[in-house]
Amino acid sequence: MSASISGLLKPWTPRVFLVRWSRYNPYYLDPEVRKEAYSVPETELSAEEKDQRELKALRPIKAATSGISSSVFNDPDISKFINMMMKHGNKILAREIMTETLENIKRKQVEKYHKAPQGNKETIECNPNTIFHKALENCKPVVGLASIKKGGRSYQVPIPLSDKRRRFLAMKWLITECRENRHRRTHMYEKLSQELLAASNDEGNVVKKKYEMHKMAESNRAYAHYRWW
Amino acid sequence: MALHRLSFRLRQTVTHVRSLHTSGCGQQQQTLAVESESEPFSIIRTSENDPACQSEKHIGQYYTLPSATISTLFPHGLPWRYQQQVKTFNEACMMVRQPALEVISYLKKTDSSKPPLRYLFYGLNGSGKTMSLCHTVHFCYTQGWLVLHIPDAHLWVKNCKELLPSSYNSSRFDQPLQATEWLRNFRITNERFLSKIKTTQRYVWTKREFTEEGSLLRDLVDHGISRIKSSSDVVGALMKELRQQSGQPGSDFRLAVAVDGVNALWGRSTIKKANKSTVDPEELTLVYNLRKLMRNDWIGGAIITTLSQTGSLYTSKSDYLPQELLGERGFDSMDPFIPVSVPNYSEKEFESCYLYYIDRHWLQHPQSKY
Repeated sequence: MSASISGLLKPWTPRVFLVRWSRYNPYYLDPEVRKEAYSVPETELSAEEKDQRELKALRPIKAATSGISSSVFNDPDISKFINMMMKHGNKILAREIMTETLENIKRKQVEKYHKAPQGNKETIECNPNTIFHKALENCKPVVGLASIKKGGRSYQVPIPLSDKRRRFLAMKWLITECRENRHRRTHMYEKLSQELLAASNDEGNVVKKKYEMHKMAESNRAYAHYRWW
Repeated sequence: MALHRLSFRLRQTVTHVRSLHTSGCGQQQQTLAVESESEPFSIIRTSENDPACQSEKHIGQYYTLPSATISTLFPHGLPWRYQQQVKTFNEACMMVRQPALEVISYLKKTDSSKPPLRYLFYGLNGSGKTMSLCHTVHFCYTQGWLVLHIPDAHLWVKNCKELLPSSYNSSRFDQPLQATEWLRNFRITNERFLSKIKTTQRYVWTKREFTEEGSLLRDLVDHGISRIKSSSDVVGALMKELRQQSGQPGSDFRLAVAVDGVNALWGRSTIKKANKSTVDPEELTLVYNLRKLMRNDWIGGAIITTLSQTGSLYTSKSDYLPQELLGERGFDSMDPFIPVSVPNYSEKEFESCYLYYIDRHWLQHPQSKY
């Protein structure tokens, strides 16, 4: 009896909180997850970094998502790639494929390293993370094309791309190319490792697609002034 | 934690080096940088490649297996991940560990005129039971024993594509594919013995095919490989011949039976007969003959076995003890045996493994090299 009366006396909070499409107030700042950022002593910070630290002491911080961690193996590019490879929310499978891909790349490179003559050994890169980043860099287009309608006709107009858009396009091209243009019985990690190794050497279908995009943009230079932003 | 101690271990070797080179401090600064890199490799590797000469002071060190030995002795025995590692690192290095050394020391003292002792490696998943078995098999091979190595007994009780009724005994079933594959690998391993040992009995396979008494074992094995239908019976005959002839005063070989996943022989199987009822492992010719080998009613050799939960059927994932995996029937058949526990890596072995991976450029993260 007393429990129900005291239940009525507390301030009202809704039982159900809508979370799925909720957006943080822009006032909230992003969390800094990397341990190295906190081990820098006070003296080595520049003026802007000191201001940033004071700001973080006063402003509220967003909660960290469950996809990032402060481990040494956490890499934002690789996490984004895993998310883009994921189908139907099966993140476990996407992560498995990514780890198998990295292991496959490392195996091929280490095998090549051990079989190479002494002089060539330094040129062979064995770290799969550096190979992934180099391949991603080689696949990122510099300019993109946008379809702009003027006078009833649509023109492909060359436009500058933001960093985020470039990274997205590189990853998207890698994944679609691996999914479509290979024999259906090869595993995804095999296809991905072949494509990433080729891309890090500036070969392969994805860098070819990047260069074709550049050529289209170059050929449509005349319409560049159609862009108004 | 272990990495922290690792740097201490290296520092100890460096100070040890320093005490040897007492001439001139200036020289030490240059030699230190070179020696602290070459020292780890001699800590983890040993030049003692013969298992008979390895002892307790080599525990935790890696010895190299020559590639010719790998292709003859282990066409089918090594774990898959180890085979991949051999291909990647371009060398086959195995760590010397306590359980294998113990069994090797017992094998050195075996008496050829007594019945064989049964050794059983048991431990948690991934603790190194199959690798210990392979180390022991390498020892037996270098000592000139005849090695009968069954890589995984679980493969014989599951995923059977062809099941034929046995020609010898109508209540049993044959597995031609598994038998021929095993015979092929057996022939690769034991070439030198096949031309020396002769059969003691006449075997009649079909109305027109038979093997005379006194013919070489090589002919028996070749017949089994070419005539797939009677290959399981050939396997049974081979096991019987070897069992009867080993340890006899006339023959000069000793038989080492190495079985991985011995708990499959007394477990359940997933093979179904034509009327959808399950086949008992006893009704399979291969398993029946292998069980006869496991009995110690012959002389002049040893039986080295391993338990395995990873490939086993209808066992819980946390089972690893002999009582749990062998079951009642299996334990009673294997009793008495010498159980050898295979634990996970100790601190020293872990550090050794870590240094080996760094040496082979397998650990690529910049923070893995302290």
